[in-house]
Amino acid sequence: VTVLIHHCILYKKAEVEETLKRIQGQKGVQGIIIVNAEGIPIKTTLDNSSTVQYAGLIHQLVMKARSTVRDIDPQNDLTFLRVRSKKNEIMIAPDKDYFLIVIQNPSD
Amino acid sequence: MTRLCLLAFQRGCQTRPVHTAEAEIQPLLNADNGTQTDPQDHLIYQLPPKGELRPESPGLRDFLHRVEDMVVKELASNAKSHAFDGFDVNWEDQNETVSCIHCLQHPSAQEKGLQVTSISWSCTGSVIACAFGRVDDGDWSTEKSCVCTWNLDRRGLNPKRPDMVIDVARPVMSLSFHPSQPSLIAGGLYSGEVVVWDTNRTQDLILAQTGMSTDTHREPVYQVAWVPGPRRGEMVVLSAGSGGRVLLWTVDSDEGRLVLSAGFALIRQQVPHNSALSKNRGSSNVGVTSLALSPWDLDTFLVGSESGLVLKCSFSAQTLAAAPPDGESVTLRAPAQFSFSPRGGPVHSLHCSPFHRNLFVSVGTDGLAHLHSLLQPDPLLSLRVSDSYVFGVRWSPTRPLLFAAATGQGLVQIFDLGRKSLRPAATLDQLTGGQPVYCLEFNPRRKDLLAVGNADGSVNIWHLSTELTEQGPRETAKLEQLANEVAE
Repeated sequence: VTVLIHHCILYKKAEVEETLKRIQGQKGVQGIIIVNAEGIPIKTTLDNSSTVQYAGLIHQLVMKARSTVRDIDPQNDLTFLRVRSKKNEIMIAPDKDYFLIVIQNPSD
Repeated sequence: MTRLCLLAFQRGCQTRPVHTAEAEIQPLLNADNGTQTDPQDHLIYQLPPKGELRPESPGLRDFLHRVEDMVVKELASNAKSHAFDGFDVNWEDQNETVSCIHCLQHPSAQEKGLQVTSISWSCTGSVIACAFGRVDDGDWSTEKSCVCTWNLDRRGLNPKRPDMVIDVARPVMSLSFHPSQPSLIAGGLYSGEVVVWDTNRTQDLILAQTGMSTDTHREPVYQVAWVPGPRRGEMVVLSAGSGGRVLLWTVDSDEGRLVLSAGFALIRQQVPHNSALSKNRGSSNVGVTSLALSPWDLDTFLVGSESGLVLKCSFSAQTLAAAPPDGESVTLRAPAQFSFSPRGGPVHSLHCSPFHRNLFVSVGTDGLAHLHSLLQPDPLLSLRVSDSYVFGVRWSPTRPLLFAAATGQGLVQIFDLGRKSLRPAATLDQLTGGQPVYCLEFNPRRKDLLAVGNADGSVNIWHLSTELTEQGPRETAKLEQLANEVAE
């Protein structure tokens, strides 16, 4: 039974890695961070200090964006957030338990 | 007559006997567990979770499954989109013009015909200090001079009256504010002395000085800088002069002395690849006229010499200098590791790019600005700055492709390497009646201010246009491209 559980975990792990690889392979993607509901990064392709910085700041931003949407219309909810800046674009796919953060420079 | 009495004390100590006790533990529950690592994928770096290795975060796979398609679609369409082409946002007031906002002068220094030899901004960006001396004197000058400071943020700024005037017994050739303590200024004098002033003091402003000792430079000190010392948080003063010595001094404020902690001597015979210069007779010392620290590598520094050499040096070089000991308290070492292609005359100024670890620019008497890579001896690019000498060059702290050069004709030429043309992007006339500009410094905090020191004893503060200070898209990439070009 232990062996079967191991294989399931490994299979799930492999799927997660595959998905991240597919996203990383898109044109101009500079980095991917997955953050959990508490704002703690659990997966990243960036260096440690950038990851921690992005995770903390973006978690706060997503919370603010979500409460803005729901204050305007309580029946509505945030589905996606894009922050475009001079140098790149940050895309955030939020969810109950995780956020997916992708940093892309479209002109790369 | 005083007698020295040596008193000796003996002390011992002994701890009380240590208490020991024996105890046992036994776990109540046992469990078996196993873990298996995955082969490391070089793309994905996983942060180690706190505590023991646990299985995959629950629901992560499903979450990614849900969002993947949407995210990939957005990424793909964003890469193709032209929606934001040419779209610019003005967060700050756009400034189209370049203007001289202050012309700072110290009339009594100007009356004596003193020139501005060096300027420095304080780390806060509010205070500009300028050193007076002479650049054109050939012999020992015993002329009194001064260091003046103006606080540009103070209300009631009087450009003709400095906030503080520090009288100095000798001409001051170089000046440098401490990088974190806004009241400390280091200065190098014509006599070879190095002084640190503390502008917070009311009485004697000298915090520490080298005095004239066996350790001091014997020739004018053309460059002073603050570099990190061996202890954390400590900064030591670096001084370099035409005697060919680069010395490091620790500040002993209790004694009021600068204590020599390390030193380097540049000897012609020890300079690498130096076949061309062995024809020169005369002193074997390589007189230093300019020095640049690398913001990327704390061990590297660049030296420009009177004879046109540009050398890459290391603070951690171990080779002993082939100089006869002259009573110095430390052993001098030979720091030069690499020689760039030499110029025909003195190299007046060097500056390392704050945006690329391998790039630096050098200027001198040949009127050209040479853009160098640390990796090869020949310059990547040489731009004609002036028909006369060029005395100073500084990279812009905000625009990777921009640098400014001070000419002997009284102009500051600003070059933008992103432009196709090799002509300057802007020319700032210092209105000195053709007298040279000796030094220039960008404000470390306010990116739109440039200070320029002139031979007529004035310091001009220029306000630069947004075009010269705002980083454009892809500037860092273009600089990277330039750095990778191999010179023909």
